[in-house]
Amino acid sequence: MRRYSIMYFISQSVKGLWRNGVMTLASIVVLMSCLVVMGSFALVVMNLNENLNTLGDMNEMVAFVELEKTEEEISAIREKIATYDNIKKIEYVSKEQALEEEKKKYEEEYPEFFEGISGDIYPASFVITYKNNDKVETLKYDLEHTEGVYKVNSRADIADTIETMKKGIIYLFAWFLAVLFVVSVFVIVNTIKLAVFARRQEISIMRYIGATNWFIMIPFVLEGVWIGLLSSGISFGIVTYVYSFVQKTVISDYGMFTIIPFANFQGWLLLSFVVIGVITGIMGSSISLRKHLKA
Amino acid sequence: MIEFENVKKVYPNGTMALDGVDLKINDGEFVFIVGSSGAGKSTLMKLLLREEKVTSGTIKVDEFDLANMSDHKIPYFRRQLGVVFQDFRLFQHKTVFENVSFAMRAIGEPNHVIRRRVPAILNIVGLHDKMKCYPRELSGGEQQRVALARALANNPGIIIADEPTGNLDPELSFDMMNLLRRICRSKNKTVVVITHEKNLVDHFQERVIRLEDGKMTEDRVGGMFE
Repeated sequence: MRRYSIMYFISQSVKGLWRNGVMTLASIVVLMSCLVVMGSFALVVMNLNENLNTLGDMNEMVAFVELEKTEEEISAIREKIATYDNIKKIEYVSKEQALEEEKKKYEEEYPEFFEGISGDIYPASFVITYKNNDKVETLKYDLEHTEGVYKVNSRADIADTIETMKKGIIYLFAWFLAVLFVVSVFVIVNTIKLAVFARRQEISIMRYIGATNWFIMIPFVLEGVWIGLLSSGISFGIVTYVYSFVQKTVISDYGMFTIIPFANFQGWLLLSFVVIGVITGIMGSSISLRKHLKA
Repeated sequence: MIEFENVKKVYPNGTMALDGVDLKINDGEFVFIVGSSGAGKSTLMKLLLREEKVTSGTIKVDEFDLANMSDHKIPYFRRQLGVVFQDFRLFQHKTVFENVSFAMRAIGEPNHVIRRRVPAILNIVGLHDKMKCYPRELSGGEQQRVALARALANNPGIIIADEPTGNLDPELSFDMMNLLRRICRSKNKTVVVITHEKNLVDHFQERVIRLEDGKMTEDRVGGMFE
């Protein structure tokens, strides 16, 4: 079997891109825009998720012990709590520590309130850090039904909201990404279709001289690959620059917001851009050519 | 050898383009196919190139049975043919050498064969000194000779020329037809020329097959246009 030269296909594809400069540029701009939007949205979602995770990490519950309980009874309560499922850490806050905490918060503003007050009026408490948000209701129920515990303060509602928000964002992200991908392929297909249409005579000549479909397709598919690679490279550069700019100049003014270092995801971002860019380019070329390859 | 047996072609809109055509063209023959517009010449050409499939009947070209040939064999079948069109259909961005060599590249010929063979073919059509020219730098007659050189590049047994002189002036038309006939005689190629140019057909006195309303109405060696 005769072998076709790879270098020949590569040179033909590069010449094709150059000859159809306007269409090449249009395809690159379209694909690049889609990749930049997709990439930026992905980064925003990841940062949002990370910040929600930080909020969600405050997995704490406070169990207040009845005032009249003795030190021995309090120890027994602690041992009982330690047997519950989903416990990560138990921290004991004595009556005196509770008083100190209150003083820290309010003494400066209301000094008269703390005159002559001892820790006895404050209940001792356990600050319980739990492992899993999903099982928080069970833990709360167990604590509320523990002998000697009269009240449980929990942030379960906040944790629930955060979990719901995270799931919602991931769901929205997946849909947005899918829609953008379809739109990209559609736009690329139409752009390449125009390029292929302009070269339909070239394709028809190839068919008449006995070129196989592969021989006709390979230079066009390679053109799609080049368009994908160029678009992904440029998009990566733009996203990198914009992310660094936002990180340095905007976010630094809002200390409450955690921003993930770019280095954490630059590898997969580049890989995703290249994969999406090349696949879109190849799909665009193949779909556009299909009609012209019929006998 | 080209053989049509009771070939019918009906298009999806119901038009009967060919109606029971029987013909046989032997190796090395020179044949004119003539007829008015709508007579079925273009359909015959499309069937010969296997652009269209017959509705009924059989077409055999050498060992290929076009009625029952699968699509993936079409490129290999077309390599047995050299096709020349009225509008030349050259790659405008390629030189004469590249236009001719492209046909050889398409079937995977190695570079050393291409370098040796293309100048030889261009010599046959009298364009060996124009190898580096682009089509736009050539006259119509020269462009058609490049198209013929490309058709000859893979040494096909059959040359099909669809109105090859349609865009040429009378003098160049005679030159072109002479060249086709010389190639037919000296290289033993089968040449099928589809034309409506009376002067050429009358002058060359070759075999003439006439189509009218999709039917073959005349098949005569040394025939005239009318």
